[in-house]
Amino acid sequence: MTTSPLQEPIPVPEEGPPITQLGPREWVRQNLFRTWFDTALTVLFSLILAWVLYRAGRFVFVTGRWEIIDRNLTNLLVFRFPRDELWRVWTALFILAGTFGVAAGSAARARDRAVAEGRVAPAQSGLALRRFGPFLLLVAVLLYFAGSLSAFLLTTAVAAVALAARFAGYRVPPNRAGWGLAVGVLGLVAAFAAILGFGGVGWDRWGGLLLTVFLAVGGIAISFPIGVLLALGRRSTFPAVRVVCVGYIELIRGVPLITVLFMGAFMLGFFLPPGTETPSLETRALVALVVFTSAYVAEIVRGGLQSVPRGQIEAAYAVGLSPVRTTALIVLPQALRAVIPAMVGQFITLFKDTSLVAIIGLTELLGVSSIVTSQPDFLGQGLIFETLVFAAFVYWVGSYSMSRESQRLERRLGVGQR
Amino acid sequence: MSTEQLRSAATKPGTGEPIIVCEGVEKWFDSFQALSGVDLVVGRQEVVVVCGPSGSGKSTLIRCINRLEKHDRGRIVVDGIELSDDVRKIQEIRREVGMVFQQFNLFPHLTVLDNISLAPRQVRHWSKAKARQKATELLERVRIPEQAHKYPGQLSGGQQQRAAIARALAMEPKIMLFDEPTSALDPEMIKEVLEAMEELAESGMTMIVVTHEMGFARAVADRMVFMADGEIVEAGTPGHFFEDPQEERTKQFLSQIL
Repeated sequence: MTTSPLQEPIPVPEEGPPITQLGPREWVRQNLFRTWFDTALTVLFSLILAWVLYRAGRFVFVTGRWEIIDRNLTNLLVFRFPRDELWRVWTALFILAGTFGVAAGSAARARDRAVAEGRVAPAQSGLALRRFGPFLLLVAVLLYFAGSLSAFLLTTAVAAVALAARFAGYRVPPNRAGWGLAVGVLGLVAAFAAILGFGGVGWDRWGGLLLTVFLAVGGIAISFPIGVLLALGRRSTFPAVRVVCVGYIELIRGVPLITVLFMGAFMLGFFLPPGTETPSLETRALVALVVFTSAYVAEIVRGGLQSVPRGQIEAAYAVGLSPVRTTALIVLPQALRAVIPAMVGQFITLFKDTSLVAIIGLTELLGVSSIVTSQPDFLGQGLIFETLVFAAFVYWVGSYSMSRESQRLERRLGVGQR
Repeated sequence: MSTEQLRSAATKPGTGEPIIVCEGVEKWFDSFQALSGVDLVVGRQEVVVVCGPSGSGKSTLIRCINRLEKHDRGRIVVDGIELSDDVRKIQEIRREVGMVFQQFNLFPHLTVLDNISLAPRQVRHWSKAKARQKATELLERVRIPEQAHKYPGQLSGGQQQRAAIARALAMEPKIMLFDEPTSALDPEMIKEVLEAMEELAESGMTMIVVTHEMGFARAVADRMVFMADGEIVEAGTPGHFFEDPQEERTKQFLSQIL
């Protein structure tokens, strides 16, 4: 009688899960050269990658004529901003470094305590580099083009303030949740005040990256609460509120952003009561961006609201919470957490869409990038390539950092849930 | 069966005074009638177990008592307050009536301790310290004090349901409603939840329990109520109900589940 495989003795299982870790040689063989087809693909794509890297590296380090960035760095960053008021921007940076440092410190403390209590898993190692790497690269590039000792010293000082504030924030025990967040928001407001207030520079004279950041941050900060209210209004039991919200959302979502921008730029005056002074072009652009983005935020939030199970609302009602408290404490926190990826995606879109305001004549980062190529020294030399690469790099750092932070936030808030 | 008869079935000492009165309660879901003329009186400290086939209106009945469903006809009076569209009265009743759900419905974004102390702080305006103190006591009572700082998703089903019982008790309700509290649990976890409910019944809580756990019903119930097709078919003490059911439908149901 032949022994079938079933009759063979079953090997004694080893302790613990089977080891699946491969050595580097094994990994390469398994993943890159498993079959002749894999090998062919590996070679092909290696060649393509090498060629792209070679061309890009050659452009950045050899053929690129970066003098245009070198000479126009301040223009790209702030454009028309009065040069003898630049200390205000530095002050704002110091304020931001300080307050965000404190906020980060208190958040880190709360997180460490949660890890100690076993509520959340500890952070992965090597995350800091992926998180801050692009930003540090941007700072390094800016300092390279600035090429001045004072800029280097000031940047070092800002970094020192940030680190010191983080240390201080870690030491001060936050006795209320959201304390760090409040400090961060306060810092943002104070930073704007430092530039605008005390005989400062109105945002009609802002430009370059400063204007880009202003439009993006302002757009996000204002459109988020409006979007949440619109989403709640769309689910309201009052028909009038519902109709207004649905009408607004569907109307705006049916119109391209450029149209909204043009309407904001040229038609806002018609909607204002006669006699009022027409706000600056920058304000009108911000209003248009907010009007546009809040409709999309509303739809994203609505999706989140729908994802909260009915049982959650019933449980909240059953313990005696009022409908308003149920929405604020039970439904919204869960809804917003569920839509973090989509929400941040929308904000990244807004950040990049700020470049469209160049069309209505504003000189933010992209606007400056094209204008400087018309300077007498650089005219007609095809240098738009260099300025666009620079602008693209800045946009990429911003977008990538936002998406990284959203992934962090997701991981942190999603812990302990199934 | 008249309400007078039902009322007299309450046998526990000191349970004479009615705390929940339902009279001719009807409930429609579109054209489907979920409740057709339900009369039920529950006395203070009484434990009523409601059973019946699925779709018989058991859950709908107790969900009407704290207004998670709005009844279409008839009257429901809870602790002297008649349920109507008056939002403040609904809130008042919900403060006095705790509910435990089949799917637990703990708030996943809050720790167990915060789940329990949220309503006392928000609705009863207790201080944070007092609410946390109460929550800790309740967690000890349901025997999961070590889970206080975890999130619901990190707990087993039985632990979640006990946390949900603690959450309902934190409001110091006069009445507790249980909507099939063990139906979503693995068998080995049912016991721990039933034990917590048994202790609660012994402490003198007024309870209406919708369940299929007939062992629990026999041991704890003061009165059994059997429902079918949106009506109360038969009610009586567990002794009568299990040993000597009168109605044909009751006999049939009992023969299927026992």
